[in-house]
Amino acid sequence: MLPFTVLTAVAVPLEIAKIDTGMILPGRFMRRHRRPGHDYSEAFLHDLRFDEKGVPRPEFAMNMPAYAKAEILVTDSDFGCGSSREGAAYAVMDYGLRALIGPSFAEIFYGNCLQNGLLPVTLPEPVVHDLWAQLRNTPGATITIDLPNQQVIAPDGSAHAFEINQLRKERLVLGIDDIDVTLEHRAAIDAFEAKRQQAYPWLPNAAHVLAGH
Amino acid sequence: MADKRSLYQKVWDEHVIVTSPQGEDLLYVDFNLINEGGSFLAFDQMRMEGRKPYRPAQHLAITDHYLPTANRAAGPAGIGNLEIRKVVEMLASNTADFGVPHMNMHHTQQGIAHVVAPELGYAQPGMLITCNDSHTATNGALGALAIPIGASMQLRHVLATQTVWLKRARTMRISVTGTLPEAVTSKDVILGIIAQIGIGGATGYAVEYAGSTVRAMSMEARLTMCNMSIEAGARIGMISPDDTVYQYLNGRVNAPKGADWDRALAYWRTLPTQDDTPFDRELSFDATKLAPMVSWGTSPEDCSPIDGAVPDPALITDADRRRHVDRALEYMQLTPRTRLADIAIDRVFIGSCTNSRIEDLRSAAKVLRGRKAAVPGMVSPGSTTVKRQAEAEGLDAIFRAAGLDWRDAGCSMCNGSNGEILSPGERAASTTNRNFEGRQGRGAMTHIMSPAMVAAAAVTGKLTDVRRITD
Ligand code: SF4
Repeated sequence: MLPFTVLTAVAVPLEIAKIDTGMILPGRFMRRHRRPGHDYSEAFLHDLRFDEKGVPRPEFAMNMPAYAKAEILVTDSDFGCGSSREGAAYAVMDYGLRALIGPSFAEIFYGNCLQNGLLPVTLPEPVVHDLWAQLRNTPGATITIDLPNQQVIAPDGSAHAFEINQLRKERLVLGIDDIDVTLEHRAAIDAFEAKRQQAYPWLPNAAHVLAGH
Repeated sequence: MADKRSLYQKVWDEHVIVTSPQGEDLLYVDFNLINEGGSFLAFDQMRMEGRKPYRPAQHLAITDHYLPTANRAAGPAGIGNLEIRKVVEMLASNTADFGVPHMNMHHTQQGIAHVVAPELGYAQPGMLITCNDSHTATNGALGALAIPIGASMQLRHVLATQTVWLKRARTMRISVTGTLPEAVTSKDVILGIIAQIGIGGATGYAVEYAGSTVRAMSMEARLTMCNMSIEAGARIGMISPDDTVYQYLNGRVNAPKGADWDRALAYWRTLPTQDDTPFDRELSFDATKLAPMVSWGTSPEDCSPIDGAVPDPALITDADRRRHVDRALEYMQLTPRTRLADIAIDRVFIGSCTNSRIEDLRSAAKVLRGRKAAVPGMVSPGSTTVKRQAEAEGLDAIFRAAGLDWRDAGCSMCNGSNGEILSPGERAASTTNRNFEGRQGRGAMTHIMSPAMVAAAAVTGKLTDVRRITD
């Protein structure tokens, strides 16, 4: 997982409320293999970004050249609502975003983002509306997210504090995901396992299935 | 001093490696089952990160949801729907890439994960088992702690570390006592419980089923009961192991043998919950008052004894419940106060991890023997092992003679991932566990019940009290 400390990047406004996981990752992309170079970047918000013929909608902000390098998306409320479609966070990530800013996020989606090194930042609605206006006035303007100090610095220089779970913050800053955290206990896992195998040597494994039973 | 912990607590404690400052326990996973559903997300992410499975042999991937139950000879290439074929192929290539054992569509023991695991002895008392499927609790019938996990993040974690972080659930004991009346099965018991406590009734709890009725149940009947724990809201459902479990396990492929068997048995006998063990919540049910159940609505709690009628929303005082019933009846195209036994069906389905084991097939075949089904339908055994056994007993011939399709093993029409679905507006009697809107196909209407009750419905073409079908 990439560490997240201070990010200064182009931000793109997305002034639509209740973007659900089905819009973030449309169902027809859901069963697609993710490989480097063939991931969910195209699928992300596909039907908002492209028309029925697959042509980019010129009026859609994300399609404007000024926002092409955006790494921050400033959304409206309830981003990520709907089904718990786990691929949705991957779609956000694969598109190249590192952070989302909005008035609220759906709970499961919020958790999935954090687990994948994506930072969802919750700010009061008037602040978010103000960010939209600034980004519209100066397409391509940058926002700074300072995670260690829990601050968002708007294009106009104003600073806005945000809340985040301290444990999650620590993991993001260090760039360690849940697997890395668990593997810090590797010695304990191995010791536990050895003891368990000794006490219950009959516990099953499925190796014989590979051998073709 | 006697151990006052419940089965759940004992098995949980036995698997704690460390506890986080936030109160989450890092639990060791003895065995993990993987289905093709969303598991490719976990494999793909691991590939992107360059991670490897920690203990590959302690996993078993089984293709069950997306496999067709007919024409398998050509392998995945024979699957006409490309989306479905891709999912089947992805599990095969992912497991090959990561060295994870995989039961593919041609494996002689292939079947639904929750049927295969107990059948082959992968599930044993005291084990901690995970699977990326909501009906994982099925394995709790053997006294295992069987936990459903998410198909992406959690599965990836289990693959990469052989562990899972979880918080302890509250405990609930559901005691069922008394002798079951004629034709009343464990499916009716669990439906009766869900009808009473509701689909959220056990949310947040690890349930243990107890009492004389449960003790008298066969292994297969217990598996059906634990299977539907999630329909009551509980992710975990268990039964304290006893001789029924030990006899069932003895001799199975992965069960302990020889001296190990004796040691295992001695350990297993320390696991059962004592009668005076305290639970956070205790419920009790009288089995003698139960009747064969059928569902009439779009939630498993929407069910009644077969001699009942469709409820009248006007008589429901709770506003939320009234709205739900209104909508359910509209979807199910049912008129209030219709007698359940007057509801005509178009199709039957016998199968799913709830009711597709050999006993289930026997009880359906008993009703269908020498009779013709008035409607079309299919029977999909829970595993290839069950299929062979049923054929050895001649059950397939009974189903075929009745006019039903005898298929290969898989989830099939339970949720239709493999494309085997009902048509819009079709009404089915089904041995499955969920009757949600669209569960068996868009606009399809599902009535859930026991295998014998589905067989009775097949014979008359209506929901039918199986006790009225006599020789
Ligand atoms: S049979 Fe049905 S409930 Fe069981 S695992 Fe398959 S789809 Fe899920």
